[in-house]
Amino acid sequence: MINTLRILTMLAWRNLWRNHRRTLIMLGAVVIGVWAMIFMTALTMGMVNDMIEDSISALPGHVQVHHPDYLDDPNITNLLPLPEEAIADRFRSAGFLAWATRIKVPAVLSSERESRGVTLLGIDPQREEAMSFVDYSAVEGRFLEGPDDAGIVIGRKLAETLETELGKRVVLMSQDPDNDIADRGFRVVGLFSADVQAYEEQYVFAGKKTVQDLLRVGDRVTSIVVLGDDYRDVEPVFAKVSALVDDGVTVSRWMEIDTYLGTMLRVMDGFVLVWVIVIFLALSFGLVNTLVMAVFERVREIGLMLALGMKPSGILGQIVIESMMLLVTGLTIGNLLAWATIKPLESGIDISVVAEGMAMMGAASVLYPQLRFEDVILANTVVLILGFFASLSPAWRASRFQPIEAITRVN
Amino acid sequence: MNLVLRLAWRNLWRQPRRTWLTTGAMVFSNVLLVFMISLQFGMYRLMIENSLQAFTGHMQVQAQGYNDDKKMRQTVPDIVPLASALRSQLDSDEVAARATAFALASSEERSYGIAVFGVEPRFEPHVSSIPGLVREGRYLDSNEAPEIVIGKVLARNLRVQVGDELTLLGSGRDGSFAAVVATVVGIFDSGVADLDRTIAEMPLGLFQDVFYMRGSGHQVVVNAPRLGQVAELKQRVAGLLPEDQGLVVQDWDALLPGLKQAIQADISSAVFMYAVLVILVAFSVLNTQLMSVLERTHEFGIVLALGLKPGRLGRLVMLETAMMGTMGLLLGALIGGAVTAWLGIQGFTMPGMDEMGAKFNLPSRLHPDVTIASLLSGPAVVFLFSLLASAYPALRIRRLHPVEAMRSA
Amino acid sequence: MTAVRCVDLCKTYRQGDQDIKALDHLSMEVEEGGFVCLSSPSGGGKTTLLNAIGGLDKPDSGEVYIAGERIDNLSKGNLAELRLHRIGFVFQAFNLIPVLSARENVEFVMQVQGVPASERREKSLEILEEVGLEGLEDRLPSEMSGGQQQRVAVARAIVSNPALVLADEPTANLDSKTADGLIDLFKHLNEHHGTTFIIATHDQRVMAYAKRLVRMLDGRIVEEIDQNAA
Repeated sequence: MINTLRILTMLAWRNLWRNHRRTLIMLGAVVIGVWAMIFMTALTMGMVNDMIEDSISALPGHVQVHHPDYLDDPNITNLLPLPEEAIADRFRSAGFLAWATRIKVPAVLSSERESRGVTLLGIDPQREEAMSFVDYSAVEGRFLEGPDDAGIVIGRKLAETLETELGKRVVLMSQDPDNDIADRGFRVVGLFSADVQAYEEQYVFAGKKTVQDLLRVGDRVTSIVVLGDDYRDVEPVFAKVSALVDDGVTVSRWMEIDTYLGTMLRVMDGFVLVWVIVIFLALSFGLVNTLVMAVFERVREIGLMLALGMKPSGILGQIVIESMMLLVTGLTIGNLLAWATIKPLESGIDISVVAEGMAMMGAASVLYPQLRFEDVILANTVVLILGFFASLSPAWRASRFQPIEAITRVN
Repeated sequence: MNLVLRLAWRNLWRQPRRTWLTTGAMVFSNVLLVFMISLQFGMYRLMIENSLQAFTGHMQVQAQGYNDDKKMRQTVPDIVPLASALRSQLDSDEVAARATAFALASSEERSYGIAVFGVEPRFEPHVSSIPGLVREGRYLDSNEAPEIVIGKVLARNLRVQVGDELTLLGSGRDGSFAAVVATVVGIFDSGVADLDRTIAEMPLGLFQDVFYMRGSGHQVVVNAPRLGQVAELKQRVAGLLPEDQGLVVQDWDALLPGLKQAIQADISSAVFMYAVLVILVAFSVLNTQLMSVLERTHEFGIVLALGLKPGRLGRLVMLETAMMGTMGLLLGALIGGAVTAWLGIQGFTMPGMDEMGAKFNLPSRLHPDVTIASLLSGPAVVFLFSLLASAYPALRIRRLHPVEAMRSA
Repeated sequence: MTAVRCVDLCKTYRQGDQDIKALDHLSMEVEEGGFVCLSSPSGGGKTTLLNAIGGLDKPDSGEVYIAGERIDNLSKGNLAELRLHRIGFVFQAFNLIPVLSARENVEFVMQVQGVPASERREKSLEILEEVGLEGLEDRLPSEMSGGQQQRVAVARAIVSNPALVLADEPTANLDSKTADGLIDLFKHLNEHHGTTFIIATHDQRVMAYAKRLVRMLDGRIVEEIDQNAA
């Protein structure tokens, strides 16, 4: 058995290189196909990953807790029923990677020249540093220093449109739970930049305590945000958070809050599989063709081997092994090529020419390809399994040759 | 059929299985290309039309710089007379003036920051689909009345209904405090989430009073009869503008750069995918034709010895490829066209299409439309690259030496 | 003991619109240790008979026994086993696997049989030397002359000591010196190892050595000469 396998392998390998031109062409096709599978997958996964990470850092967190009506109506009246202290008592010792309470409500920010609608975030800067999309140290001026900071931090782009700058005063307007207008002047203490330009226009940060006073909500907040380890697997965090809160609040996973992104993640996972299969199918015609030609050329020697007492299964095995060798060689080179082309790009591909288009899709203007082990495994497995089935038909035909006819065939 | 054609055709069918496999690769790619390209361009057209129709329009006359900064004081002076002049000079009703400001809109219970637009109630329906999408109440009908029309989501968030009052607080053109109380007369449902959540429209005359606009506004929307005529119309409009006021015409891709770039980004990833498919087909053809040339070395040797020029044999090989390519093209376009047309009638959906559609103003059922271009462009490229791929085998024939060739088996 | 017994074999081919009787109620027995030459004009049925005995081709009717075991109704797999272990073949042309060297071609059958590598190597080198190919072990078929190739084929046919060797025109492409060498080899094996030979040929030199001559015409045996007696 082992012996037979050994000779089949040897025959397959030598036969593979008999018509080296044909093998090299086919190998070239396999290499390009495999490279394209993995390269495209890495780009796609990189884009999805960026989108999700950006979006999660803007939410922020993987799991959030709100008043049941808040997600539909993000208003200051829909406060969490628990005071901050009670929340902190429960969450403090639960061992989350990071968690924070915050106020997030719509507001209008005005300079002396312009007004814009914004999302006001009342935060405790220390608690959110790990999950925020803002790199505190890269903020022009300074970021908030604590929950009772009296300043406001806005995006660079917003500062431009409002024609304001560091040190200037802006007026923030929102409503309190009784729908009385709450407004207050703030000094701009910091300007942040974000990967996604829209964030620079949308979000403004102020101290949580300051905002609570402004909006007259005492020690209440609108949201609890919790960060887990892996955005693809939020269930453990979700279960833990659910156990910590009472009925009467809603615990949501990020993909429930941002359904577009949740869908994107699923769609793109599906797209990757479809892409890999499509490429394989395009390859399979050439593969089957190559095998058919190889079998056709070797009718007589296949007949000879059968006449000498090799079983038909040996012939079948030989052709299948030959095909698998071709694929494995192609896969190896293709994988290496993909790795070699993706590695240098991992520091990011600048696609800012289509920045606003990417922003529309929810992605940043620098694309970081992501070479994921499981995607590489997927591509390779699909090629090997489908390749095996594609080579069965020519191999089966070869094994059905009648030895006597095959040997006496003139050509 | 002349002799050479007949010869090429018969040569193809000496190895029917190989010919079918190679043609099969072409057909597979062509079907895929026809479907994908039809779907893609149908989608882009819908994305553009839906996005522009709703509100933005094909082009806008604005103050220089307004498109980038959208500042309150970057205005178009005397905007109503300008719009009316353009209407008569272009002989078209699809021209309407607007002004816009950000304001805090407060109802009894809620306050939200919104974008409020002053519009010409008579002409707005010609440039925007919003007036036609008023689901409750009515659209604006007077140029001065304290009335307002808001989006469905905004109405829900503000908890107002037709007949309720809204207070708008903002700043005027000169930075001074601006406030008005207006009655909600209509609620529209455009299906574009951003519009339904953030936009309110009030009569331009009222707007100009409240925000101290002194007859100015921010944009004159001009629509072309078709998307294809935008460039031409843009030229005309630009020629009609008063010289010294620093006005510019921005077409839709400048107004909504995200839209065009999203399409560009999508096209470039699609082009990558198509290129890979085409290259794989080309490899298949190269392999087949090279093998077919090598197999016939002996036979080629004989005809060369008989005095045929190598160039003619090369052309014969190219002709064989062209025949195979034509079969691939016709079958691919036929099957691809039929499948796509059927899906175009039936419509189809993909998992996640609801969410994606909402993001890009697309319906959740897609109807790809087959056009001559989408039907033939992909297959034509496949055909071309197949010919290109067989150039190498064809050129190899030139290197044949008749005697050596005949000696080889 | 009978090595080969054929009973009432019939085989008809269609060629164009003509039926050709390649075997016509043919019966024959070959004793163990026999050395039989089949001769016939081209198309006389000798190749068909060899193929039927070797289990490469099924007769339309009749029975074939090898060492007393009926083989014409065996399955493909069992026939493969039979050829692998008990029969050595030398074909008229195209005898060798092109991607294998001389030694590997000789080892091929043993390898499929599962003979250990060292034993294979020893035996194959020994037999190649015996057929006069020492020094050419690592050549590919394409690097050898027709005669050398034919000798490799003979070496392969006899290397695993089959009880029966079937050869179809083994000397057809050989010069007379090489042919003589090959015939000596057959003779030697026949005498010292008791190998049974059935050889289809019309080469006079081979026939001269044969213990028994069988002449065929139109699928029937028309003449048998026992040369042992002579």
